[in-house]
Amino acid sequence: MRTQAFILAMAVLGLAGCANDPAPEEQMRLSEKALEQAKAVGATDQVESLKLAEDKLGRARTNMLTQDFRDARMRAEQAELDARLAEAQVLNVKSDEQLQLLQTRVKRLRKQLEVQP
Amino acid sequence: MIARKPLATLALLMLAAGLTGCASQRSASALDEATVAFQQVKDDSDVLRSAPRDVIRAGESLARAERLSTYIGSGSDVRHYAYLSQRYSQIAREHTKLALNQERLAKLDLERQRLQLALREAKLASVQQQGQWVESQIAALASEQGDRGLVLTLGDVLFDTGSADLRNSASRTVLKLVQFLQLNPRRVVRIEGYTDSTGTPEENLKLSRDRAQAVADMLADLGIDEKRLLVEGYGDQYPVEVNASERGRAQNRRVEIVFSDDKGKLAPAR
Repeated sequence: MRTQAFILAMAVLGLAGCANDPAPEEQMRLSEKALEQAKAVGATDQVESLKLAEDKLGRARTNMLTQDFRDARMRAEQAELDARLAEAQVLNVKSDEQLQLLQTRVKRLRKQLEVQP
Repeated sequence: MIARKPLATLALLMLAAGLTGCASQRSASALDEATVAFQQVKDDSDVLRSAPRDVIRAGESLARAERLSTYIGSGSDVRHYAYLSQRYSQIAREHTKLALNQERLAKLDLERQRLQLALREAKLASVQQQGQWVESQIAALASEQGDRGLVLTLGDVLFDTGSADLRNSASRTVLKLVQFLQLNPRRVVRIEGYTDSTGTPEENLKLSRDRAQAVADMLADLGIDEKRLLVEGYGDQYPVEVNASERGRAQNRRVEIVFSDDKGKLAPAR
């Protein structure tokens, strides 16, 4: 009888634990925004971290529907950072390209100045 | 039945212990990785300067993961915060690289402007010295060609045979072109390269494009916005003379500049 009561208490506690996690609405919004921003600067599925972000956010949305708020929050938090990393990576690829272009132009200008009489 | 029960319990316990063992091992390695990543950004003065907030967050998440790792059954939370910490460290690194790149870009752009100015002055000086500065408009050199509009032909004297490098004697015409384009900021040009029929079509196509690009590069170096310069190579197509004689071939080796009207509207490409 004592054991049964204990198990019951544990079960109630366990349930309460789940119910205590509030719906991470704000985090979902943040993560959606981070993903949008990464795509806006040109990140595609080719970028590994963006793919991760999309997958995790997708699963977080499902968790929201089934009210698994703890999983939803953790996945959304990871998705947000995955997306931010993707954004920074894409911006870096672009700035590398810009740098290379400018370096070529400066080199060309120097070469031309050398042949000037 | 009674004899078997303790055995089953033992097996269950072993299994449970095994599982926690695995889980904590995974958490420990996640924690290690995050710690290493954090150490690296924390000790990098560039990162501290460019992305201090990301570094702080990486540290906070790591501290949280470490605190949680002292509790039992918190494996997934430890891994979660270790993951977040590692991501923050990576983001800090990327942001730092971006900031350094921006600095270098700004410096290089100043350098480019300075060189551009120097080159323009050098060209102007050399042309003026030779007393060849002609204030006439480019229109005097160009001709109206029906539906293609205003076309200026640069002969093959501007290039050595087989080479796409502009000769220095090209400066005068090119400078006039620059002046004209600066006076008419809304006009754009299409720079079309042509060759004679010597050589393979592929080579000719490449050579014609390279020559047209060389003219475009020189215009860009002299300060014309690259957006106003379209480049096209036609190889040995559209000859203006038969390729049978040397004279005819020389006339076919050329770069043509097609001007838009003063509203920026170009005749369609061939």
